[in-house]
Amino acid sequence: MHNLDRRKFLKMAACLSASFGVGNLPEPVMAALKQIDRASLPTLVYLQGQSCTGCSISLLQADAPNAVTMITDYSNLAFHADLSATSGKQSLDLIEEFFSGRAGEYFLAVEGSIPYDMPEACVIGDKTFADHLLSASKTMAGAVAIGTCATHGGIPAAEGNPTGAVSLKEFYKRKGKDPLIVDIPGCSVHPDWVWKTIVHLVRVGLPELVNGQPKLFFDRKIHELCPRYHDFQQEIFAENLGNKGCLFKLGCTGTNTYADCSTRWWNGRQNWCIDANAPCIGCASPLFAAKKNFPFYTLARKTNK
Amino acid sequence: MKVDIGPVTRLEGHLSIHTTVEDNIITDARSVGEMFRGFEVILKGRDPLDAQQITQRICGVCPYAHAIASSYAQENAYNLKVPANGRIMHNLIQGANHLYDYLLQFYQLSALDFIDVTAILQYTGSEPDLVRLRDWVKAELASGKPFPAAPFLPRLSGKYLEDTDLNIGALKHYMESLEVQKKANKASAIFGGKFPHATTIFPGGCTQDPNIDHISSYQSLIRDVKEFIHQKYIPDILAVAAGFPEYWEIGQSKGGFLSFGLLPFGPESDSARLFAPGALLNGSISPVDFEAIKEDVKYSRYSSPSGLKVREGTLTPDPHKASAYSWVKAPRYKGQMVEVGPSARILVDYMQGNNPTIKKLVDKFAGLAGIGAANLNSVLGRHLCRAISAVVIADFVLAETERIDPSAPSMAVYDLPESGEGFGATEASRGALLHYIKVKDYKIDHYECVVPTTWNCSPKDDQDRPGALESALIGTRVETPEEQIESNRIVHSFDPCLACAVH
Repeated sequence: MHNLDRRKFLKMAACLSASFGVGNLPEPVMAALKQIDRASLPTLVYLQGQSCTGCSISLLQADAPNAVTMITDYSNLAFHADLSATSGKQSLDLIEEFFSGRAGEYFLAVEGSIPYDMPEACVIGDKTFADHLLSASKTMAGAVAIGTCATHGGIPAAEGNPTGAVSLKEFYKRKGKDPLIVDIPGCSVHPDWVWKTIVHLVRVGLPELVNGQPKLFFDRKIHELCPRYHDFQQEIFAENLGNKGCLFKLGCTGTNTYADCSTRWWNGRQNWCIDANAPCIGCASPLFAAKKNFPFYTLARKTNK
Repeated sequence: MKVDIGPVTRLEGHLSIHTTVEDNIITDARSVGEMFRGFEVILKGRDPLDAQQITQRICGVCPYAHAIASSYAQENAYNLKVPANGRIMHNLIQGANHLYDYLLQFYQLSALDFIDVTAILQYTGSEPDLVRLRDWVKAELASGKPFPAAPFLPRLSGKYLEDTDLNIGALKHYMESLEVQKKANKASAIFGGKFPHATTIFPGGCTQDPNIDHISSYQSLIRDVKEFIHQKYIPDILAVAAGFPEYWEIGQSKGGFLSFGLLPFGPESDSARLFAPGALLNGSISPVDFEAIKEDVKYSRYSSPSGLKVREGTLTPDPHKASAYSWVKAPRYKGQMVEVGPSARILVDYMQGNNPTIKKLVDKFAGLAGIGAANLNSVLGRHLCRAISAVVIADFVLAETERIDPSAPSMAVYDLPESGEGFGATEASRGALLHYIKVKDYKIDHYECVVPTTWNCSPKDDQDRPGALESALIGTRVETPEEQIESNRIVHSFDPCLACAVH
């Protein structure tokens, strides 16, 4: 396990915030970020593997980042396939400039899993995604694995897994490499989990990690701070889909999923699954969707006998 | 000469286009899907109610369409009677998702093909946002960085819009649209729980119990989105059209059109829809027949048999198959290649005279642009048809909120049957989406998805006939064969989603 020093994290924080432009940071954080010499800021190269782009789309849902600040003051995003004007060979040349080490310091962000047993199942330009990752491992300052596919394999790695999909960490481990990787799970990832990791890093320093994930967001189970914990204690259980009450009997996995959805909510605090009577399906869990015989809902188990 | 213009950026996923160019004309184009996960394999043997969750992860850009199609398919398989509220919330969630997706598609994914970002350097006004953008671009260009002003530069060579004010206005809207798309997604999250990947959507309805708080918040958010659509999105499309009128002709696909219909007026599975379903082949409309769909794999990386019907579909990946060049299959309807998506959706409805508003809008915009309905099959036609869809959907979902009865149930109560099968079809923002489920011994025995970009970005079929995008590219004149900004504009007009196409 890498020793993640504060300087390195601060750089990663600045790089990430610069790339996506967090416009709503507290003033001291903004001040700290501004003191960093922009010219020496590492750049972010964002690549997608076996992904659905849901995490990228989720990052665009962050509450109140000022779009202008995003693009002007803080933009240091060298490449993102969904946003970049560049395309084709021009974009491959750009990526190659970084991966060869010629374009300066950079961090790699990865969304999606890696098809370890069938590398041809994910190709970018003239190379497999796996080959791109191997090139990057020689030059990158570190990597952020964004979303459950990148952190644990996710749905592509669920039972059946015809491509041998694995997480970023597992991919590098099997290739005998041990780069600095911070895991931020979620299917999709919550934008705050990415952005506020940065806020914490800059204001307080190195965040405590649990299983490679920022403890700030992934320390407690959804169940522990669930607004329906009272219902659970009083044994007021939803019996059918759409009922209010504790959703445990319908299969809610809030009892063993580490994430702060119950206090953070989603889409600018507009809503979250359990407040809409939808059982938690454990999308931030390492075991998300992993087994065919562990269904999301127990409605079916009842009828299965 | 052979030119590979991939990876094509500003679309979902991994797409290359292998072109052959002679005398600046594209004489052959191969649409190459480059990523595979194997959802059908992962779904087999799972609990049926996992399906509307798992299939949303096919695509994080249009996840709700998959949840809806899966729910429709399961409702058919289980013979469910859906409460009106449940169907209305399905519509509110899916409708808001279309609105966000159209804005993303035009501003973030397509506009940079037409808009000149460097025009901001000419800005002399005092709007703080634009001043900051100008100063940033200036500073970046002077910085000596290896890639200044990324991700807006570098860009492909070609002609961009020349009117400085139009460019600056569109750039401002590019930034504003990032805020507006969030509002559409907040609206869908009110009933969906969250975006992306809603957890409330089930066969039989929606777990949310709607109240006046939800309804009024939804209405307020959607009204803001609607205003942006009318005040900015549509004028920007017309401005691009005025600057590039040749794109009413460029990018025409050479087959038929297929739409499965979108947004049912009632809870029953055979309810009429806001956008009517239909197949438009050789100029005439016929009802959709799912049994008329077959998927060819001669050029696809599968060793499973070619030409199978949806319910017979099998999937054996073969990454080294010699004849294959794509992970995308080649679906054909009654043996014909068809385009799906906004133009298909609008044309199929327009030709049937189903929705009077669509007829009115098509005629109005066609008049403004000096084109006919046939020009909707083009780069600009696809953009215009998205805008027309947006206008119609925004009004419909606002009206739909008034039909919610907060005192009535929103979910059917049911036990899962031991066996059953069903189709579920809807329109994702990118076009016709079909799910098929077969349940046996309480488990998924077979699941198939035929997805919009599977149609549009399909490789050649067993008879060597190109897919819709391929056919739209072939014959196109390109000024710089090595870069082909013209091809990029055509590709983007289809709004490809490769994670959907292959899944």
